[in-house]
Amino acid sequence: MKIKPWIIFAMLAGFVLIGATAFLGGRLLTPYEFHGAILQSPQPAHNFSLMSHVGQRVALNDFRGKIVLVYFGYTICPYVCPTTLADLSKARKSLGKDADQIQVIMVTVDPERDTLPVLADYMTHFHPSFLGLTGTPDEIAQAATPFGVFYEKENSDSALGYLVNHTANVMVIDRQGYLRIVFPFGTTAEDIAADLKYLIQK
Amino acid sequence: MISRVLQKPARILYALIFLPVVGILVFATLRPIQVLPRITLAPGFSLLDQNSARLTNEDLRGHIVLYNFTYSDCAAPCPQTSEVMRALKNRLGEIDAGAIPVSLVTISFDPDRDSPERLRAYANYAGADGKTWRVATGDATRLKYALGGGFNLYYAPNADGTFTFDSLFVLVDGWGIIRAYYKTASPSVDRLARDIGLIAQEARNSTGAAKYAYEAAHLFLCYPP
Repeated sequence: MKIKPWIIFAMLAGFVLIGATAFLGGRLLTPYEFHGAILQSPQPAHNFSLMSHVGQRVALNDFRGKIVLVYFGYTICPYVCPTTLADLSKARKSLGKDADQIQVIMVTVDPERDTLPVLADYMTHFHPSFLGLTGTPDEIAQAATPFGVFYEKENSDSALGYLVNHTANVMVIDRQGYLRIVFPFGTTAEDIAADLKYLIQK
Repeated sequence: MISRVLQKPARILYALIFLPVVGILVFATLRPIQVLPRITLAPGFSLLDQNSARLTNEDLRGHIVLYNFTYSDCAAPCPQTSEVMRALKNRLGEIDAGAIPVSLVTISFDPDRDSPERLRAYANYAGADGKTWRVATGDATRLKYALGGGFNLYYAPNADGTFTFDSLFVLVDGWGIIRAYYKTASPSVDRLARDIGLIAQEARNSTGAAKYAYEAAHLFLCYPP
């Protein structure tokens, strides 16, 4: 039996169509899997107003329209904070032209030693746009508590003086001001970037 | 002839579009997997319990925790929420939480009067053993941030030494994320037990292919009634 060329062509075209549909359909129908914990916050994140390292008071709500990554740490922090901030810097860079849509904020849990110049030095080392915030112990506690952040001084024998134990999550606040993702310490820069890309495209 | 050739791939095409849609509908209506919503982060706190031992939210990381809020002087008609906690504690053995520890925490919003001694007396009366079920309080200002700001609890002292407050139970998962509020003095213990079981089940299925199914359950709002 002789098969006409147009039938072969039609079948090939059909297979290509089916393949493309299955691929696209699969992509569209599989929900994006976040690397961090995704939240369904019913109300915007608690606002706070603190002094920034540029000498200006800023509120969390000032950043509406940007995706804000909030971290609570301190500059003498020996390992966890620099690792996290370096990862955030790397994640930010990998967003390319969308990097400007991200604002990284670190609120110090050590206001005694983290003065504005110290914070300025430290934060800009990771990226010029990163912002360090401080305030009175009470203002900091008020900002930290609703984000599930616990911190306390711990005496240490090291040359660093005391340490501050603290919750090391990174909280992601979306453009509308809602807490959307929590990254536990140790989430890789690649995973953070993937989740941020998804939020930016939304 | 032409139509017969074209019909077959077209059918497969329809099937390819149709099947996932049917799958989603079945998933969303039958809810084969139920999850509790991830509402928001539970607050950070540092308290002292009835044995003067420190209790922080970080100590409870990895635990499923049920919180309730009261003060030791709370006598009728003040709502007695400790009965629900006691009933649940007695049923913890029946809940299949796998290897995930379940903790009960009662927080007093009366730190001025609730010294560790008074908390201990309250704990003995209520049946809090100091291990699975701890009773704690802390600095008044920080408590306001944690309970008022973090757990959304309303409480205010009255002139006669009593408190006006909303009855509230809050269920928090091992990540420190609030998964359920029960705004009543007497939530059903069956429901609390079921919800603890749901969190544990989800935690057990948080890797591999099962994770997709559970994330889909969140996406399609497969919440229990």
